[in-house]
Amino acid sequence: MLMEQHMNWKIVIVFLSFPLLMTGCGSKDNFIILSPSADGQVGALEIETEKGSAVLDEKGKAIFIGDRKSVPSEPTTLSQAETQALFQDALRVHPLMPQSFLLYFKHNSEQLTEGSQKLIPYILEAVQKRDSRDISIIGHTDRLGEDGYNRILSMERAQVVYDILRAQNVKGEEMTILYHGEGNPLIPTADDVAEPRNRRVEVMVR
Amino acid sequence: MKKTATCCLALILLILLPLSALAEEKRVIGKVKGTRGLVSILREGQTKPAFPNDKIYQSDTILTGSDGAIGILLEDNTLISMGPIGRLAMDKFKFAPAKNEYELRLHMMHGTFVYQSGLLGKLAPYAVELDTPVGRISMLKETDFKAKFSE
Repeated sequence: MLMEQHMNWKIVIVFLSFPLLMTGCGSKDNFIILSPSADGQVGALEIETEKGSAVLDEKGKAIFIGDRKSVPSEPTTLSQAETQALFQDALRVHPLMPQSFLLYFKHNSEQLTEGSQKLIPYILEAVQKRDSRDISIIGHTDRLGEDGYNRILSMERAQVVYDILRAQNVKGEEMTILYHGEGNPLIPTADDVAEPRNRRVEVMVR
Repeated sequence: MKKTATCCLALILLILLPLSALAEEKRVIGKVKGTRGLVSILREGQTKPAFPNDKIYQSDTILTGSDGAIGILLEDNTLISMGPIGRLAMDKFKFAPAKNEYELRLHMMHGTFVYQSGLLGKLAPYAVELDTPVGRISMLKETDFKAKFSE
């Protein structure tokens, strides 16, 4: 009689601890959750274990995977608060996406348009926010005029932007000047065509 | 004569192959943008502490301590961050749009990861493959995700 009672308790303990085991190990050890991308697009990926595969393509959904030898779960919802808490350490050091700026020039000139002059503070802000040591300044021209002349003009344009940033205390060794002349137009045109949108310097802040 | 030529060629290849393999290994693929706590890089059998703006090479393994976290910027603008007690191997990276060559192969071994797709994921999602302790992730299109894995 005593023996039988003892057995019953064992069964009760096993039953009680079962849900704990389920949540404690396994269920949250391995999972993938889709993040909303900056442009609002939702991605799609596939996870393949030895026992099967699952596609994750719904906004905010997560797939849980026990181990290599288990079938991935159906996509389920994980609360935003929980996701935020789990990833806060990584998110705190997550880098900012590099930012690119286009500065435009007046015809046959190394003078910035008024609109582009106004972008300079935003470039400086992007440099500061990223603590950037990697700023590329890439000069371009349109296809009006001779190729060799345009190469020099594109270099001079990049140099103007370099000098502007240098005057604002961006260090020289953190900037790289490149120039493509008329060879890399934003808007493809025939030769000898004036295209203001191609008279540009791209500033890439990484 | 033909035999000598073949022999010579074989000899040249024998000398050149390890060199090219070495060059492949030493390729810079990105850099450290931010760190917290103890973070280190395992490179060619040696572990050294990692700091912001340090270069990351192909085949490096990134490790974080119990209070550590790291943010990484790859050459194609892919962004990856990893939380404490993490382990991430930068197995393969190739980004050459002019030659239409793309490859990204990472091994997320342990820890919490935030992955934000760069140009590689936009131009060639099929070239992105991520190994994990439970299986392989492949991209069907440009995708940002978070994940947690345990070895």
